[in-house]
Amino acid sequence: MGYSAVEMISYTGSRVLEDEKIVFVGTGLPIIAAMHAQLTHAPNLYMIYEAGSLAPILEIGMPLSVGDTRAARKACYLKGLCAVFELTQRGFADYAFIGGAQIDMYGNVGSHLEGDVYEKPNVRFPGSGGAGAMAANCEKTIVIMALEKRRFVNNVDFVTSIGFGDGSPDYREKAGVMGSGPYRVITQHALFGFDEETKRMKLLEVAPGKTPEEIQENVSFELLVAPDLKEMAVPTEEDIRLLKEEIDPEGYFLKKATK
Amino acid sequence: MKETSSRIKNISRIKYDQKSAEYWGPTPDEARKKAVDKSKAMVDKSTSLKEAVQQHIKDGINIGIGGFVNTRVPAAIIHEIIRQGARDLTLSFQSNSICSEWLAGAMIVDPDRVSIKRAELAWWGYEIIGIAPILRYLNTNGMIQLDDYTNYGMSARFKAAAMGIPFIPVRDHGGTDMELTNRGKMMECPFTGRNIYLVPACHPDVGLVNVTAADVYGNARVFGAQCTCPEIAMASTHTIMTTENIIPTESIRAYPNLTEIPYPAVDAVVEQPFASYPGACYGNYWFDMDHLRYYRGICDEFRKTGNRDGLKKYFDEYIFGCETFDDFLEKIGYKKLRKLRKMDGAQPVIL
Repeated sequence: MGYSAVEMISYTGSRVLEDEKIVFVGTGLPIIAAMHAQLTHAPNLYMIYEAGSLAPILEIGMPLSVGDTRAARKACYLKGLCAVFELTQRGFADYAFIGGAQIDMYGNVGSHLEGDVYEKPNVRFPGSGGAGAMAANCEKTIVIMALEKRRFVNNVDFVTSIGFGDGSPDYREKAGVMGSGPYRVITQHALFGFDEETKRMKLLEVAPGKTPEEIQENVSFELLVAPDLKEMAVPTEEDIRLLKEEIDPEGYFLKKATK
Repeated sequence: MKETSSRIKNISRIKYDQKSAEYWGPTPDEARKKAVDKSKAMVDKSTSLKEAVQQHIKDGINIGIGGFVNTRVPAAIIHEIIRQGARDLTLSFQSNSICSEWLAGAMIVDPDRVSIKRAELAWWGYEIIGIAPILRYLNTNGMIQLDDYTNYGMSARFKAAAMGIPFIPVRDHGGTDMELTNRGKMMECPFTGRNIYLVPACHPDVGLVNVTAADVYGNARVFGAQCTCPEIAMASTHTIMTTENIIPTESIRAYPNLTEIPYPAVDAVVEQPFASYPGACYGNYWFDMDHLRYYRGICDEFRKTGNRDGLKKYFDEYIFGCETFDDFLEKIGYKKLRKLRKMDGAQPVIL
């Protein structure tokens, strides 16, 4: 059974989400992953969209933006940014589901810029958006990223979304944030977690046909490898059908190919 | 309270100029005085965009932009500001796409007419459609000063201003490079003893919002995601409001709980259907991906080639070549607008 990189990422994202939780989703694959989870193993999973909606019913199509009318449809609570981020600070958002441009071994994520100088970077991205607040205050942070050496870096140029900082046990406490921090990093070829003691990124699962060495080749820093390393589960034919026909029939995200 | 810091310096590599602890718009005291000095009479504030912009938009002010990315953005007001011109602007918003990119594009076309000095923001881009080319151009060339917060940080800053307090404690920014580069401060909490991040209130001189419905006094209803529009209107010393519909005050008084922005916070009310186009407005129309992509493509072309012709042509056609926003909508055409109305899916609103 064939599957694309984005299908694998979406499916894995879905697998990571538990039932009876609330997930704060960013645009794109996080929404698809959460929709898939709702349709399969997590019917009591609900989404927060940062423009202000809680638990919408996505019956008029997949939202293309977290502020999309589609993401407000039949919500049970529909206010603004303050309200949903305050739900998050208060402890009602279990998962942050974010992306980024760079990540380091402690799960710190950059999505502002590439370069050395804040006032004049080499490349500027849109900025934090909700990501910085989600990574701070959702209980667990899930990051989606393409597995590439230029993204899995030794040092993030500008830290947007807090991970475990320098790895010291009280980094997050000193930062004044509430969530417990990075939980999973999802790529097309591997699923990562974090070592409880050292806070370093740890390879948990590899895609069929891949070896830990191949994964390490695409990562700038040294990975820890779980002693019980597993093979990533692959989407079934039914999962692919759900993703392509039920969730993103217009192919806004799932058509995109990643390496 | 004692100033402190997280351990961000252990991992940070960015070079930056320390910003001083000052407001980039009216101070809380100035904003308070403006509110106190205002007439609280319920008078008909309905006007035209031309008059509203003429009266309130000046060079050097801080403009608070409502909506969120492509959602319920004050597009019609931005068009009029570009037509009339405004220089040395400070922009404040959480997340925006077309409004900030239009102003920035206008600056490329003619900096003597429109210019942005700086922006306090969380995000400037188009989500699924891509990054904002003009932001990238301005920032990588050091032509605009930025002050970065999270979406909650900016929203909380407007909220603090709306509450009449000078700062607000938040649980984010700490431990990231925003702690170093923005104007917030890490303090020791006097009650818990733990570190807590404080961000300064954000009072725009003029807030720009588009709402679902309002009466002529400016009592407004916002359906769909409220974004940070109520907070921005309350935070600003003046608010220009477009509304998809002007509704009778009896309707407002029949359901006062539905009023999200109260009349004293509003200075000008302009009835303008499709006022967020090419953005979306819940209950009215969906966003126009084609037009957003079209303008973004022109901007990206400029970023890559440095050739302003495409941008100039776009502005001549769609903004300078139009006297009003209705003229612009006429160029977009009835069939397109009708399709966008259909794509909203008839979200229920109460008028």
